[in-house]
Amino acid sequence: MSVRGLGLTYTTAIDRRPTLKARVKSLGRGGKQTRVIRALDEVNLDVEYGQVLGIIGTNGAGKSSLMRVIAGILPPTQGRVEVYGSVSTLLALGVGFNPSMSGRDNVYLGGLAAGMSRDEIDSHFEEIAEFSELGEAIDAPMRTYSSGMYARLAFSVAATVRPDILIVDEALSTGDAKFKEKSLNRIKELRSDDRALILVSHAMATLEDVCNDVAWLHKGKLVQRGDPKTVITAYREFLQVGKSAAIDEDV
Amino acid sequence: MSTPTQVYEPFRAGLPPLRKYWKSLWSRRTFISEYSRSELREQHFDSAFGQLWLVLNPLLLSAVYFLLIVIISGSSDSTRYAHLTATLFLFYLVANSLTGGVKSITAGQRLILNTAFPRIMLPVSAVVIAIFKFLPTLAVFLAIRTALGLPFSWQMFWAIPVLLITMLLALGLAVTISCINVYFRDIASFLPYMTRTLLYLSPILYEASDLKPQLRTLELFNPLFPILDSWSRALVHGQAPLTSHMLIGLGWAVGIFLIGTYFFLSREREFAVRL
Repeated sequence: MSVRGLGLTYTTAIDRRPTLKARVKSLGRGGKQTRVIRALDEVNLDVEYGQVLGIIGTNGAGKSSLMRVIAGILPPTQGRVEVYGSVSTLLALGVGFNPSMSGRDNVYLGGLAAGMSRDEIDSHFEEIAEFSELGEAIDAPMRTYSSGMYARLAFSVAATVRPDILIVDEALSTGDAKFKEKSLNRIKELRSDDRALILVSHAMATLEDVCNDVAWLHKGKLVQRGDPKTVITAYREFLQVGKSAAIDEDV
Repeated sequence: MSTPTQVYEPFRAGLPPLRKYWKSLWSRRTFISEYSRSELREQHFDSAFGQLWLVLNPLLLSAVYFLLIVIISGSSDSTRYAHLTATLFLFYLVANSLTGGVKSITAGQRLILNTAFPRIMLPVSAVVIAIFKFLPTLAVFLAIRTALGLPFSWQMFWAIPVLLITMLLALGLAVTISCINVYFRDIASFLPYMTRTLLYLSPILYEASDLKPQLRTLELFNPLFPILDSWSRALVHGQAPLTSHMLIGLGWAVGIFLIGTYFFLSREREFAVRL
């Protein structure tokens, strides 16, 4: 996967709900309807198979935007992204789930939304159900689930997709400590020579543990890229928080 | 490894590569059917009473409108009632596609922000849902028709091409309105008035041949007019529809579908930032 001179500017509507009424009212005044945000600026990034790349940066650094561009959800405004292989994203959990349906139905719905075929889901169903540790609750409607159960099922579905490139955006902080550990192990299992992983996280300790490469984004620009230890140390110094518990804890 | 499987580059207006788009849409057909099924289930249409309501609702509506016709015109007959139910049911196929389609993109926000897929899938599944709701009412109509003792004829099979044209029109309208709703969210509130106007402009409460000559121009602006007239001729009267009406209806359907899809496809890459 290669990202060349990537720039992304959003034109978003100022109104949360753009309406015809508002447009007609402001016709004569020629007021601005949109605001331009520069989310990414000249980012160059290459990821090879076998690499596990961690992405760090403060809130609003453009991490999620970069992931969305790579996944093909947002079109870039400048530059070019080339992707060699199938991409699966884990940007948010439970995408495509319908809360009024049972967990079983949602495994299919979520799996199909993630691009799996029905046969693939059929063959992995037992594995998904077991990994989620839901037991008999899998046949209950999802609106009866606790948020932990919801997240566990969502992660189990997502972790079954076996793409060439997997993008995970802070989706690992789900469930209790035990499940967190389990999902981290699953991510480690997914590391292999014929797959590239990109992890976005604020959990420095986890990234140091899992990744073999780390990139630091700040205000849409790539600041530093390289060995996890070096980059993370530099980032910590930048944050001036040192190795405090707050950024180590969560996965 | 030599050629990239995906290349993302800046775009201006214009269509994405259509063949590739169609291929990825086709590969997601199981998701479309599963997604539509889950929506239907959410509205309880998988249960016996849900199905009953699906049939009962248009039946009650047609009863109310029939009452209206009897009161206004003073008299009525069984053919009139058959015409009313047949056209009203088909009209609701289009109206349901519109009401389902209008919010399909804005309601699918989470999906759109987090997964890459052909966005046209969402209005398409709204139309699939409308079709699923329509099919049982078609069976009810055939039962009503038999009960009223109207004769069957081979000409009734003209209803099949008419239905296909209607589906294409419904799809075109759903795609168009779902796209408009991204930019103007209050379209959804106008929609009930638009469908209500369309209902009265269409030959449902009256037959196309009853229309006063000075009002004939109304026909020209309503895509549903020729379609509903052909539908009634075929299904109720057992006659072949007018060729001109079939052609005009087809023209409308193809035109709206092409224009709407063009707008949608050239805009859809922007939806993620507009939601």
